[in-house]
Amino acid sequence: MKIARLFIAGLALAGLTAAASAGTLDEITKRGELRVAVQTQGPPFSLVGANGERTGSSVELAELMAKEMGVKIKFLDFDWDGLIPALLSGKADLLVADMTPTLARGMKVAFTTPYMYTGSTVFTKADSKFKTTEDCKAKGTKIAVLLGATGEKEAKAAFPDADIKSYKGGGPLLLDAVNNGQADCGVNDISAVKGQQTAYPAGTFTVMPDLLSKEPLAFATRYDEPDLLIWMNLFLNQVTIDGRLQKNLDYWVNSDAWKKDH
Amino acid sequence: MLENFSFRTIVEYLPLFGQGLVTTVWLSAISFVGALVVGIVLCAMGLQRGWLFRAPAKAYIDAVRATPLLAQLYFLYFGLPRLGFVLPELVVGILALSLNSGAYIAEIIRAGILSIPRGQVEASVASGMTYVQRMRLVVLPQAFKVTIPPLLGQAIVLVKDSALLSLISVAELTRAGQLLASDRFMPAEGFVTIAAFYLLLYYGLKGLAVVSSRWLGSAGARA
Repeated sequence: MKIARLFIAGLALAGLTAAASAGTLDEITKRGELRVAVQTQGPPFSLVGANGERTGSSVELAELMAKEMGVKIKFLDFDWDGLIPALLSGKADLLVADMTPTLARGMKVAFTTPYMYTGSTVFTKADSKFKTTEDCKAKGTKIAVLLGATGEKEAKAAFPDADIKSYKGGGPLLLDAVNNGQADCGVNDISAVKGQQTAYPAGTFTVMPDLLSKEPLAFATRYDEPDLLIWMNLFLNQVTIDGRLQKNLDYWVNSDAWKKDH
Repeated sequence: MLENFSFRTIVEYLPLFGQGLVTTVWLSAISFVGALVVGIVLCAMGLQRGWLFRAPAKAYIDAVRATPLLAQLYFLYFGLPRLGFVLPELVVGILALSLNSGAYIAEIIRAGILSIPRGQVEASVASGMTYVQRMRLVVLPQAFKVTIPPLLGQAIVLVKDSALLSLISVAELTRAGQLLASDRFMPAEGFVTIAAFYLLLYYGLKGLAVVSSRWLGSAGARA
């Protein structure tokens, strides 16, 4: 008798804790709002368009996610190195950025399956004496990278004798530093560099054809939101099958088509 | 809560924090000397009778005090190159801190000089002292004593302001914390450690203030 009562009490307790950890998706539905950490660093992933609207490849995918969830979306802006801390501290449900799911980052946050591939590239000012990736290896070359970005580590490995300058903020700072002459070369994702250099007169920069690395891009959530991660993977799978992902990438990343609209 | 706090990682990053601390100290020291020079020049200009010197000094002090240091720093680093002046980040950093702090220091020194009772100046004029004698023997020694505590207060502000230089890629103390936060995703560890180091610098400067005011106090008593 006693044992049966204890058993029932135990069951009830288990039921209670299950209800308490009802999952992030329920929470989002209840809240009616998906909170997304972004870094508005510029085209093609996240930018503020000509009419002041927030847009870009990642931003549109996040909006599509919220639409499929049936909730509103709220974007929270952080510096590049602030994205993962923002996610970990619970300020955002998920993060969308052109982020590579590295093993180190994977120790902290849960990544979706990659939805596209890119790589780090080296760029220089077109009229400088640095013409190739090889030129940037010279001792004391000033190389601009983004604090906390994969390019930071790749630059350290590829240019061991160089003077690595890491900037806190977004990719356009690197282009600015190279354009201003405060750095000789810059290292960042090729898709980011290609998108962001459109803010400058054509022919301002030389973007090297060789890549320092091949990097997948993925979105991220916390490990304590497995339901959200499963749903996001489902989402990416779905938009891959129905072609919405390809349409997004063709428009934003694989061409300059977005330029006439934003 | 503390079981998530990694002291091991902090120890691992201590050399980086040490380098950052050294950079913060020497950068701040040079900038403070620069700020003193800027402040004294501005103050001397501001105390002139004619508007020719007074007006630009006043305009400069107002402009600096009305705008955020971050905006001034970004202007010097990202803005000036567009106008044709490219300066390395360390030079920009020292320049920004000196020019910014100098405006506040000018006001501190001015207040010190104006705190000397008018009667003393009149008395020294009456005893036939020249302007230089008056300043050197009567006004400045007393003004100096009054300005030391607020000057050291300004030095403490300058040390804290130097954290902004991390934004233009200067590897100082705050940048060390940012690196730990971004490499290992440990913002708590990174920023608590730099806070402790800044506290250390603060107590150092405060101790300096106490010692110097005691020393000046006894020197004043002897005089």
